[in-house]
Amino acid sequence: MSESKKLTKRDITNLGIRSSFLQASFNYERMQACGFTYAMIPALKKVYGDDKEKLAGAMTDNLEFINTHPNLVGFLMGLMMSLEEGGATREAIKGLKLALFGPIAGIGDAIFWFTILPIVAGISCSFASQGSILGPIIFFLTYVVIWVLRIVWTHLGYNLGTKSIDIITENSDKIANAATILGITVIGALIASYVSINLLPVITVDGGIEVAVQTEFFDRIFPNMLPMAVTLLCFYLLKKKQINPIVLILGIIVLSIAGAAIGLL
Amino acid sequence: MEITLLQGILLSVMAIIVGLDFFLEAFFIFRPLIVSTLTGIILGDVTLGLKVGALIELAFAGLTPAGGTQPPNPVFAGLMGTVLAYTTGCAPEAALGLCLPFSFLGQYVILFFYSAFSFFMGKADKAAAEGDTKTIRNINFTTMAIVSLSYGLLAFLCAYLAQQPMQAFVNSLPAVFTHGLEVAGGILPAVGFGMLLRVMMKAKYIPYFIAGFLMACFIDMPNLLPVALLGTIFALIDFFGAKQRKEDLDEALQNMNVDGFGGDSNVGI
Repeated sequence: MSESKKLTKRDITNLGIRSSFLQASFNYERMQACGFTYAMIPALKKVYGDDKEKLAGAMTDNLEFINTHPNLVGFLMGLMMSLEEGGATREAIKGLKLALFGPIAGIGDAIFWFTILPIVAGISCSFASQGSILGPIIFFLTYVVIWVLRIVWTHLGYNLGTKSIDIITENSDKIANAATILGITVIGALIASYVSINLLPVITVDGGIEVAVQTEFFDRIFPNMLPMAVTLLCFYLLKKKQINPIVLILGIIVLSIAGAAIGLL
Repeated sequence: MEITLLQGILLSVMAIIVGLDFFLEAFFIFRPLIVSTLTGIILGDVTLGLKVGALIELAFAGLTPAGGTQPPNPVFAGLMGTVLAYTTGCAPEAALGLCLPFSFLGQYVILFFYSAFSFFMGKADKAAAEGDTKTIRNINFTTMAIVSLSYGLLAFLCAYLAQQPMQAFVNSLPAVFTHGLEVAGGILPAVGFGMLLRVMMKAKYIPYFIAGFLMACFIDMPNLLPVALLGTIFALIDFFGAKQRKEDLDEALQNMNVDGFGGDSNVGI
C-alpha cells in the first residue's frame, strides 16, 4: 500500500526555477536561509496541505543557517523534498541539509567560480576586445544554459533521493579535483594572454647599438615572463602575507603611475 | 560626450535589473562584460562598451563572491568604466583604473545590506513558527526591492548627475597620471588571477598551470577554446585515473579479506 506521490514533475521544475531566489534576503546572520525557505514554500504546502503545524515545522528547519552554491542548490532542494514527501523525520531532513550544503558549496565554487567563469570570460573577452558582439552573446547564452541546468539538478536530487548522498560524498573530491585541473590550465593561458607589461626604456650599449629592454631582452629570453612574475608575486602576497586584494590593487595603481612618471612603463 | 536624461534613466533601469541579478547570482548578467555592453548600447557606442567590458571582465575574473566574501562590485565597475570612457574620452585601460572607486563604493553598500538584512530574521522566525508563508514572501520581496532601488539610485547619481564634475576631474589629471592608469589597467588582471590561484593552487596542479601558460605563449590561437579543451583532457585523465585507483584499491582490499580468512595460521610466523 504505497502512498501516492503528492509532488508532480511540474512542482519539481517550479522548485528549480524558484531556487533563483536563494539569496533574495542574504544576510550575515543566516546567509541564504530565508530565500531558501521562500523557494521551498509551494512544494512544502503541496506536501503538507492543510496541516499548518507540519508546515510550520518544516519552515522553521528551513530557516536555519545555510550557505551553499546557488547553481547547485536545486539538487539539495529536490533531495529534501523527496524526504519531506516520504515522511522522513524532521531530524533526518535537517541533518541531511547540514551534512550536504558544505560539500555542495565546495563543488559549486570549484566548478562555477574557479573554472567556468575564467574559461567563459577568457573566450568571450577574446571576441569582445576585437569589438565583436559575439563575446557577450556567447557569455550570456552559456549562463542561460547553466541556469536551465538548475531545473535538471533539482529533478536529479528529487529522483535520486537518499541515493544521492553516497554519490555526492563519494565523488565530490574527484569532481572538484578534475574541475580545478581544467581551471588551472586555463588560468595559465589567461596570464599569458591578458596581463600585459611593457617596459619602455631603450638602453644604448657600447658601439652605439640600441637595445629595447622589452622587445629585445625580456621577450627574447621568454615571452610573457613579466606578466607571469607579477601574477606569482600577487599570488604570494595574497596567500602568504594575507594582503587584502584592495591594497594590492591600489598598490599596483600607485606603482604604475610612479613607473609612468619616470618613463619606465 | 554628454549623457542625456533619457540615457541616465535607461542606465538606472539597467542597474536595477543587473544589480538584482548580482544579489541573486541567477543569470550572470551582472558581470562587467554584459553590463559594459548594455551600457555601450544605451550610450550608442557598442564597440566602446565591448572593449571596456572585456578589459574589466578579465580584471574581475578572480574577484568572486565564492565562500561568502563580497568582492569589489562588478556592476558599478562595468557601468562606470564605460560611462567614464564615453564622457571623458579616456582609453579603456584608464577607464578600468577610474571605475574602481565606484566599484569599492558598491561593495560597501552591499556589505551594509548583508548586515542590515539580519534584522529581518527575527520576524522570519516568528512567521515560520506560525506557518505564515506570506510574511516570508514579503521579507524576500522587501529586501530585493531595497537592493534593486539602491542600484538604480546610485547609478543615476554616478552616471548622470555627477557626470560634469567627473569629466572636469578626469580632464584635469596630468598626462602622466592617465598614462599610469592605462599601465595599471594592463597589470590589474594579475590580481584577479592571483586571487584564483590563492584558492586553487596546490603543488600537484603546477604541471597543468605551466602547460596552459606555454600553450598561450607559443601557439597562435584566435581564442582560448583550445586551451579549455586541453584542460578538459587533463581533467578527464585525472578523473578516470582516480576512479581506477579506487576500484583497484577496493579489489585489493577484498582479496586481502579472502586470503585472511584461511590464512590466519600463517600470520606472525
